[in-house]
Formats: sequence, structure tokens, C-alpha cells
Amino acid sequence: MEGNPLSHLPHGVSFRFIDRVVEFIAGERVVALKNVTGNDPHLEGHFPGNPLMPGVLLLEAMTQASGLLLPAGSSAVLAQVKEARFRSAVVPGDQIRIESVRRGGLGALHRFEVKALVDGALAAEAEIVLAVAVPGREGLDSAG
Amino acid sequence: MNEIAQRVRILLATRLKLAKAVEEITDQTPLFGPLGLGLDSIDALELVLGLEKEFGVVVEDRATAVKVLASIQTIAEFIQSQGKG
Repeated sequence: MEGNPLSHLPHGVSFRFIDRVVEFIAGERVVALKNVTGNDPHLEGHFPGNPLMPGVLLLEAMTQASGLLLPAGSSAVLAQVKEARFRSAVVPGDQIRIESVRRGGLGALHRFEVKALVDGALAAEAEIVLAVAVPGREGLDSAG
Repeated sequence: MNEIAQRVRILLATRLKLAKAVEEITDQTPLFGPLGLGLDSIDALELVLGLEKEFGVVVEDRATAVKVLASIQTIAEFIQSQGKG
């Protein structure tokens, strides 16, 4: 992947949950950063007076980082989340370091082991499977 | 061979959490599709990873997976053909 891997992220600016890519080995491993600020619009309501990065958005950030490891230009969707654990609260001022490693795949499916760390401590972890959309290709379950 | 098939059954039961369903099928029952166990492509990936970990066999691509993962018997035959198990 040439240039800034972030430029390949298909998400619009309003739904980007990673700010910067600091390590990138195409198809293998990515490390991305997300700075959590009080200005993040979703923190206004989650929760009023007690801003807390929603676990599902943390997972979204982990998914977006993993998606950068797919072949450039791929259109992919979330297919599976396993063993997701949220270990500590993520709040404004925190910098989340997301480390995703591709661990196997089959056909259109790609599996990633992903960690989110704040100050070196594990904030969340999950196994994520992304399905690359290939027009006209059916899954194994529907194969003749 | 029967011993390998039995280990494949245990893999299906534990890794895919299908203990009950696995008891009710034969070694020849299709694992995919509406006439069989009804596994999907995500189950296939899980199974491929499980086979690699448990038996040290690698299912390279989707075409191989379609053939190898057809039934418990075809999986056991593949493991044996790779000199594993």
C-alpha cells in the first residue's frame, strides 16, 4: 500500500475512529492511534457529565484498523466478533493504541487478533473476522 | 481412521459448539448446505483454524476447503493423506 494507509479507509470523516497509523506491514500487522477528546460528538450523550468511549466504538476502531490490512480497495463488512473483552474505561485524554495482526483466513474471510491499549495497559481485545465483498461470489455454505 | 474421525467430531463439538448436533450425524453427513449440518463460511474458517491447530494440516484455499470440509469422513481422509493424525 502506497502513501498513507489511512487514505484507504472507506469510512467518511464522521465515522472514522482511528487518527493515525504508526506501523504498517501490508496484510500482516498494523498499529493505529486514536486520541479520545472531549469534542468527540458521541461522548456528549455517552454519558452526560461522565464521558466514556463506548465499547462498541472501541470495537469499531479495532475493526477499522484491521480493515487497513485487507487488499487496497477492498470493500469489507464485519462478519464475526469473538472473545471481545473490555477491560478498562477509555475516557477523554486517553490515546488508544490499536494493534491488529492478521491470523489466517479462508476465501473472502480474514481473521484478526486485535488489542487496544491505553498507556501500555490492555483496554480491550477481540478476535475479528472481516468478509471482503466479492461480487458474484457465494460463501462456502452455498457452494454447490 | 475411526480414531481420526472421532477427533474431528470432538473438534466440531468443541470449537463450533455443536456437541448435540454432532451426535446426530454420520461421518458421511454433509457439513454444509441445507441437507446437512448447515455450517456456514465463518464456521469453515473456524474449522480450518482448528484443523491446523489440532492436526497440523493446512487447508490452503477455498477450493480445497469445499472438497476437504464436505463431511467428517472427507476431513479424516484429508488428515490421513497428509500423514497427520
